[in-house]
Amino acid sequence: MSIIEVKNLRYTYGIGTPFEINAVDDVSVSVNEGEVIGLIGHTGSGKSTFVQTLNGLIKPTSGQILLEGKDIWEKPKEIRKIRFRVGMVFQYPEYQLFDDTVYKDISYGPKNKGLSDEEIDKTVRSAAKFVGLSDKLLDKSPFDLSGGEKRRAAIAGVIAMDPDVLVLDEPTAGLDPKGRDLLLAQIMQYHKERNNTIFIVSHSMEDISRIADRIMVMSKGRLVMFDTPKKVFSEVEKLEKIGLRVPQITKIMMSLKEKGFPVSDGILTVEQAMSEIVDLLKKEGRL
Amino acid sequence: MSFITAENIKFSYDEENKNVLDGVSLKIEKGDFVALLGHNGCGKSTMAKMLNAMLLPDEGTIVIENMSTKDEELTFEIRRTVGLVLQNPDNQLVASVIEEDVAFGPENLGVEPSEIRKRVDEALKAVDMYEYRTHAPHKLSGGQKQRVAIAGILAMQPSCVVFDEPTAMLDPNGREEVMKTIHTLKSRGITVVLITHYMNEAVQADRVVVMDSGKILTEGTPKEVFSQVNLLKKHSLDVPQATELAYKLIGVGLRYTEMPLTAEECVSFLEGVLR
Amino acid sequence: MIRDITLGQFVPGKGIIHRMDPRVKILLLIAFIVFIFCTFNFVSLGVCAAAVLFVIFLSDVPFKLYLKSLKVIILIIIITSILNIFYGSGTPIFELGFLKITLSGIYRAIFVSVRIICLILISSCLTFTTSPTDLTDAIERLMKPLKVFHIKVHEIAMMMTIALRFVPTLLEETDKIMSAQKARGADMESGGIIKKIKAMTPVLIPLFVSAFRRAYELAMAMECRCYRGGNGRTRMKILHMKPLDFGCVGFAAALLAGIIVCNLILPAVI
Repeated sequence: MSIIEVKNLRYTYGIGTPFEINAVDDVSVSVNEGEVIGLIGHTGSGKSTFVQTLNGLIKPTSGQILLEGKDIWEKPKEIRKIRFRVGMVFQYPEYQLFDDTVYKDISYGPKNKGLSDEEIDKTVRSAAKFVGLSDKLLDKSPFDLSGGEKRRAAIAGVIAMDPDVLVLDEPTAGLDPKGRDLLLAQIMQYHKERNNTIFIVSHSMEDISRIADRIMVMSKGRLVMFDTPKKVFSEVEKLEKIGLRVPQITKIMMSLKEKGFPVSDGILTVEQAMSEIVDLLKKEGRL
Repeated sequence: MSFITAENIKFSYDEENKNVLDGVSLKIEKGDFVALLGHNGCGKSTMAKMLNAMLLPDEGTIVIENMSTKDEELTFEIRRTVGLVLQNPDNQLVASVIEEDVAFGPENLGVEPSEIRKRVDEALKAVDMYEYRTHAPHKLSGGQKQRVAIAGILAMQPSCVVFDEPTAMLDPNGREEVMKTIHTLKSRGITVVLITHYMNEAVQADRVVVMDSGKILTEGTPKEVFSQVNLLKKHSLDVPQATELAYKLIGVGLRYTEMPLTAEECVSFLEGVLR
Repeated sequence: MIRDITLGQFVPGKGIIHRMDPRVKILLLIAFIVFIFCTFNFVSLGVCAAAVLFVIFLSDVPFKLYLKSLKVIILIIIITSILNIFYGSGTPIFELGFLKITLSGIYRAIFVSVRIICLILISSCLTFTTSPTDLTDAIERLMKPLKVFHIKVHEIAMMMTIALRFVPTLLEETDKIMSAQKARGADMESGGIIKKIKAMTPVLIPLFVSAFRRAYELAMAMECRCYRGGNGRTRMKILHMKPLDFGCVGFAAALLAGIIVCNLILPAVI
């Protein structure tokens, strides 16, 4: 069953001004429970606006968002409740930390949700565990943490609300390769244990191709592709036309194929490419 | 004598952050394009601030065109010679009109007004932002803002520009714009030091220096450095996927002549082994 | 969205007033404020009002915007007018208990309201036609003589420039932090004033932290660009008095002469 269903969603900025523009233009998608959805597109393609409509931070101009079959805007006064079910981690979330200890900061969301102190303690500690923050760090001021720790503390603040759908906007932006790999691994581990639905916006095709079950490609407010990474990244031309790149390894294998070597389409990781080539060499008896 | 000579630099911020730089020696020739790699906290940003006398070494010396950064009288001349572009494009722009921001540096140097005008126009044209000269910075994209910041440095007519992770906060398009601008600078004979953790940017340099915990781990041409896939991986640094694939194939017994760094090089390498 | 707000009231344009030297504009504004308080009869007041309308007509800014700027102070005009009506001296023309309205009171009320309206209109004209950057620039140059009194003119101007540059950035940032906290279930709409102020803490603290971080980074960027205060600093833009500016000064002089003549020939009514 689909957990989120978006029907003909449209959001128009600056209605009635000469600058009127459809940031999101007639987007319809249906996402199943437990899926990891990657979202790619240019800056200004509408992907950030799109994800902000999912938890009701932005009210669509027209169209519907159904969460487990129910329109999230059915009772506009209760939109705040939706935000606990659809957790949203913004870009550079460490800039939202404010409380005097990491513990208190992570518990801000659960407190707003109205949980009891016991429940809060449980959820805060489990969220901190997911992102790899030790108990010792919980009593520190969030402003004394390192850059990567701050980022993870901020993400824990959203995870602690125990949302059914987690939206992450560029969670690895500005991190170094080490921090990036660690954070992605933690997110995937969390996903595996909690089995909730994840939307992840990223500019890194390499990362997206590694973790997403399906990828939404947006351009100029429209949804131009919605398919598995393999299918999406085999359409190199279409992607390049809207100014997006494919992972380097995919590109290499595509060129090999064009040159007449029998390799498969949509290779996404170095490991896949490796086994393809080794197979090929073995077939020819050169290995 | 090299353009920049750093000898056995040691530096600590305070008791807690000891030996951020722990004996770094580095030589940079005039007109070189050097990439400085390493993960966060390895001391590469600290090194950047050493090069224009924003920070002074505790031990060791840095000499730029025969000027020691320790000589306080030369501080401003060094900062004019070695411009520093920082990571966050928003926090480098001073004025609310682009051209006035670019003029900020030369104004500080006391350059003649008509000469400033000339330099500002030239710098803006060099980074391809001339049409935006009367715009406000907050309406530009990240890549455009960063290019304006570069123009602001160019207007001081430096011989070297140090970039401290200039693309870390940009989207892929912005990154490409900035890299293009960096190549423009290089083609004009300006020495470039690029601090980054994007490997595809580092492979574009003439020379790559890898730092780890305040020391230089390895250095050489991009090919020499990225061939050491194991060493880089051990220090949690990325290698381009093209190099990684070739490296793994070598592991199962293939032979190679030159390590591929880009997609094109890797394709011709694979063509070679498969034919 | 907050980010759509443009700072100040500047309306880009190419009219005569837009092209004037901002220094001249500021000085003439001050002169005009003096003139308007030197009108003692209806003719000189009329001359002043006519001059204001003429300047507005030249300004290449929609009249609607001027009306908008008056809307804010309409209450002040009404209150001062009423007070003045009842505080006049001389023979009352209307009496109700201890309240009496005199002819001089009515005159006073008219003078006060016309003066305030003219004042607002002409100052709006300055802010509508001069970009904030030009304004700061002009203020810095005009204040230069104050250096003698050890007033840090350059530093003040630099602070104004940086404030102008960063207000839009910080507004945008406020917007972002508010969204982020709302996404964590922050309730900023309901409850009384105290609850609302409390609900703003998670927005204000990150905003301050970020402002300090920006200030630190900006200071470093400025040092990297050889900033060392106002000494030895030159400016790219040199402000020149153009024939247009001399013309405007001439216009102001004529206006002053007109007011003096009117005041001399005709009797004062207040």
